Amino acid sequence: MTAIAEAVSSGELPGRVWMYSNYHCNLACSYCLTESGPGVTRRELTGERMIEVARDAAELGFTALGVTGGEPFLLQDMAHTLTELGSILPTIGLTNGTLFTGRRLAAAEEMAGTDVTLQISLDSADPDINDAARGPENFAKVIAAIPALVERGVTVRIATTGQDPDAVAAARLCALHRDLGVPDEDHVVRPIINRGRAAEAEMGVDVTESDLPAELTVTADGAFWSPFGPTVVAGQLDTDLLLTRTTVPLRVPAQTLLGLLQGRPAGADSTLNIR
Amino acid sequence: MVGMAADTEVVAEVSAPPMPRVPLLDAAHAPLTARPYFAGGDPGPIVAALASIPELLEVTLPFLSTVLNASAVDARTKEIVIVRTSARQDCRYCIDAHSVVALDTGLTVEEVRTLTAPGPVSLPDPDESALLDWIDAVAGAIGAVPDGVADRLAGSYRDFEIVELTLLIGATMMLNRFCTSLSLPTSAEVAARLAREGLA
Repeated sequence: MTAIAEAVSSGELPGRVWMYSNYHCNLACSYCLTESGPGVTRRELTGERMIEVARDAAELGFTALGVTGGEPFLLQDMAHTLTELGSILPTIGLTNGTLFTGRRLAAAEEMAGTDVTLQISLDSADPDINDAARGPENFAKVIAAIPALVERGVTVRIATTGQDPDAVAAARLCALHRDLGVPDEDHVVRPIINRGRAAEAEMGVDVTESDLPAELTVTADGAFWSPFGPTVVAGQLDTDLLLTRTTVPLRVPAQTLLGLLQGRPAGADSTLNIR
Repeated sequence: MVGMAADTEVVAEVSAPPMPRVPLLDAAHAPLTARPYFAGGDPGPIVAALASIPELLEVTLPFLSTVLNASAVDARTKEIVIVRTSARQDCRYCIDAHSVVALDTGLTVEEVRTLTAPGPVSLPDPDESALLDWIDAVAGAIGAVPDGVADRLAGSYRDFEIVELTLLIGATMMLNRFCTSLSLPTSAEVAARLAREGLA
């Protein structure tokens, strides 16, 4: 058993490895960590590189994968790439859910019955509130996509990002996701993090590495402490949570991450429920 | 450069430093494993540039620190090597930074001028002159080092010292090209000190 596997097994090191497939997006959400949008630098990981990272991760003893962006489904063959990743380790793919029509919806069927879960962002049961942060017609597209994916056998969970959740609004949102075929255990709520575009808008909670799960995160620019690490402000990549520029072999950043964790004082683990 | 101020007092004019060609990280942007290097304040542009690749920083800095700092070879000799090598490589940043270190180590302003002068130079101490010839042959030329230069060095230094001095020349050359290529800037503090010493 590798030192990484032992650390994952003992809970010292989180088991999931994240990959930023790309940074560009068809949306430009107000709180986006990565300043993603249609015209930004793509910072793309190829499908081949993601599969290479996944194989490394499995060999080292990591137990799960995550793919985020940007909007991963702007990349061709993302459904196939996620399916391949899911055959290596259980995989979550984060998506804004607005692109699942026509060919992309048909292609998504490849993920049915596999170890791939799509996590779709939905911030409110109120279309106006949701769309204010995520863009025009976002709500309608997501509401159409979720049941379409569920009907095709794709596992879907919903992620809600927001500040100061209101109990009534939260209850309405939960009723909505149940109606869409997504059970309570597949609904995650997370705070806005004061990084990226949110920092420029002075939104969200301030965090340091001790607030963030130490989930190894691979991007085209290097490996980071957490998926909340490789953020972008004014077009510049933040480097404060950079581990290494080397991403393959994965043991290089993994060992750096483990070394940092083992150097942290006892009890200095995550304090925010951030996923 | 020296100019005349309005009140006729002679003051040093410090020219603007070059713009670096890569980002120089500050403490707020220092990656996790690079943070210790920023704990004591500005670590200088070499560290600030290398911090963008933390896995290289964490192996390069211990190496450079071991080679450049106190060791079996005395500090004066090491600064002679660094300043002269930097002069032969025409590295503005390294000449400036290590001229100050050389002065602090006890070299005179005149000795620093000698070390940074073009063409063959010598110092009164025959051992140091043999070393200067060795530096010029290693850092100021390509190809084999002439036997005569090597023989004179061997007459002045022990074998292990020759190994260390030669590694120091090589490490300095690496930094010379790094700093020059990336256009790393001399700090205002160093520039002001050089101006005060008449070495600007």
